[in-house]
Amino acid sequence: MALSRFKHAKISGVSVVVPEKEINIYDEAEYYGNSVKKIDRMRKMVGFWKRRVADNTTTPADLAFNAAQNLIKEMNIDKSTVDALVFVVQQPDVMNPATAYFLHDKLGLSQNCIATDINQGCAGWIFGLHMVSQMVESGAYKKVLLLNGDTPSVGIDPSNRNSAPIFGDGGCATLVEYSEDEIDSFYNIETVSSGFEAIVSPFSGTRFRMDWSNENEFDFLKELICETIVMPTGMRVPLMGGYMDGIAVFDFTIKVVPENIKNVLKYAGVSQGDINVLCLHQANKQIIQSVGIGAGFEEEKIPYTAFETYGNNTMCSIPTTIACLDKEIKKDKLCCCGYGNGLIAASAVLNLENTYVSEVKTFVKPDYVRTREGYIDYWRKKIKGE
Amino acid sequence: MKKDEFLVALEDILQTEDSIDVNQNLDEMEEWDSLSKMAVMAYYKKNFEIAITLNDLKDIKTPVDLIKLAGEKIDD
Repeated sequence: MALSRFKHAKISGVSVVVPEKEINIYDEAEYYGNSVKKIDRMRKMVGFWKRRVADNTTTPADLAFNAAQNLIKEMNIDKSTVDALVFVVQQPDVMNPATAYFLHDKLGLSQNCIATDINQGCAGWIFGLHMVSQMVESGAYKKVLLLNGDTPSVGIDPSNRNSAPIFGDGGCATLVEYSEDEIDSFYNIETVSSGFEAIVSPFSGTRFRMDWSNENEFDFLKELICETIVMPTGMRVPLMGGYMDGIAVFDFTIKVVPENIKNVLKYAGVSQGDINVLCLHQANKQIIQSVGIGAGFEEEKIPYTAFETYGNNTMCSIPTTIACLDKEIKKDKLCCCGYGNGLIAASAVLNLENTYVSEVKTFVKPDYVRTREGYIDYWRKKIKGE
Repeated sequence: MKKDEFLVALEDILQTEDSIDVNQNLDEMEEWDSLSKMAVMAYYKKNFEIAITLNDLKDIKTPVDLIKLAGEKIDD
């Protein structure tokens, strides 16, 4: 167990954005044989309902940028005092350099503020908090901006009913500051790397390289890009897309994640009864309830409203859940747990009693975003020196 | 839990409007899909404190097989 405790890392503020476009599963009856009954069944069993999706020109960085703009404005943050920017992302704008540098520039942060990316998926908010809390706890950094962004819905074929109704997109900005007053946070991060291949994009990096010494490479690549494979479940997936072994992931989620949560509670010296809300990664209603009940919580303490309203926006789903909580709910003891690619399980007991939590905001596309054609044209001119 | 109670619970787990007989061939039911199998796993964990995997459900043909998986937790 990787247990850790911090005493001076205060989560000062959290702000989430989601795209404006909403898709309601009841408007997609064509994929369910026009049967409302079938949709009702999906809604009841897995919580499929509404989701917010980004367009094809919006990147995870754009969503995170807008969330950061909102947080900076709402909390009146002096940008010159931010001394680190950490961007958690699994689909960066470019492979090189880190997208955090792009965000650093667009946000107008200081030359004395370091910037870096962390590659993490659904557990990315808790994992990111864990990393930046160490930076703050050490005293090396006083004010760290943690950004998260993901666009899992973009590029999914809408007829793929295993994936399309699940995912929404989102961006999140979190400010973590050094606090002289003690404020406890507890983490339990477990790495089950034997499940590396359970959620993976096998053709997204340098493990698969183009070979231009092959004179038919262009045709070969074209065929490869178009190749689809039928999974044992009968689902047809593109070879070069993202792969998920649903059964392995579900088994991991049921076996490892509830124990991970129980152990962070034990480490923090609290019981399920002391925790006001269990904010879980919003995988889907069925998984949320299975994990929460498995960890010994009553159903009333395990919200899944964020999933039903915005979809599974991966690493933004826990802060989205927190933003959806009723104002009356005391946030002095929240237990959160993210779980996903790696595979990892990442639980935390957090105190958000004095944290500014904004309501979920609608994404406003930044002025700098270009169309696809505009992007190509920009780089043509740039390289030509025009 | 009594066997009849379990069969009623199973109708709810599968979210089906048909009544389920103890010898029902589950593979013939449209609702016996991966979602239902996961729901069965969650139900066993919550109500019987039995952790079953999707692999355990691979050879399940009828509710009789499911009842066997629950051991003493479901009475005849």
